[in-house]
Amino acid sequence: MKLHFSTTHEDHRIALLAALAISIYIIESAFPSPLPGIKPGLANVITLFTFLCYGWKIALQVSLLRVIISSLLLGTFLSPTFLLSLSGSLLSLGILMLVHSLFYPHYLRQYQPSAIGYAILASVSHISGQFIVAWYFFIPHPELFKLLPILMTFAVILGIVSGIITQHLINKLCSTHNK
Amino acid sequence: MFTIGNILFKTTDFLILLSVSSLIIWLYSIFWSTDTLYGQAETLQVQYYNQVAIDYPLDTDRIIKVEGSLGSSIIEIKQGKARFIHSSCRNQFCVFHGWLNIVGDSTACLPNRVSIRLKGTLNPYDAIAGSQ
Repeated sequence: MKLHFSTTHEDHRIALLAALAISIYIIESAFPSPLPGIKPGLANVITLFTFLCYGWKIALQVSLLRVIISSLLLGTFLSPTFLLSLSGSLLSLGILMLVHSLFYPHYLRQYQPSAIGYAILASVSHISGQFIVAWYFFIPHPELFKLLPILMTFAVILGIVSGIITQHLINKLCSTHNK
Repeated sequence: MFTIGNILFKTTDFLILLSVSSLIIWLYSIFWSTDTLYGQAETLQVQYYNQVAIDYPLDTDRIIKVEGSLGSSIIEIKQGKARFIHSSCRNQFCVFHGWLNIVGDSTACLPNRVSIRLKGTLNPYDAIAGSQ
């Protein structure tokens, strides 16, 4: 029996972006982190780039593919790590969509944040999503909240860095992005 | 709105950064203040040698005079803090220690055998050893 799939140009684009994000995620997870819970999150550069360049539908698919496939490859599928990763990605994408739609009316469009603003929001909401899930499901202990300000501080710093990288990517690769 | 290289910074970016930073400062002030970490200091425990320790509330300012082995030690309680202001010993370590204001803080005049210690609702540790 032979199966035939017809793929569109969009599918190829999703596959390419997801593959990039997965590779970055796996390379990144091989490096030890100086502090547990803090990592650069460079894979989210791809998600953010996809969101700003190709829209939320493609970004959601890329992000879900990245979470599921990289967890399968790293052997953490359906484990706490996977749930943390999933919750962070979904919340950060949700916040991006919210802010993007907030600035969607034509008279507000000029105030739209650039990639850096979006990146800060994305990384802060990513860590918040992870934190909520970690606190609610895994470690419901009030002392965990002492970690939150530290995690948030690093989220802002690393968010600015990934925002700058995303802006470079958009300048180089994205011809259709809405300013 | 300005650019560095070919990176565009918009006013909204700064507004986002500002609001997120103030959120973080607020989080630090909630979860990292000494009150949340150690609880509120409520009483000052004063002890001479092996006699029963006496507790003084921190909410009233007062001067306490304790007779030690060498002479008198004078302890001051002011605005929820406490310190030695005079001691009849040579090195005056207890006076130089300064104010005690966090639960569990303690200082002692060993030659005079007088020690003081702040107590609160939650006591995070029994004692801390260290050197100056």
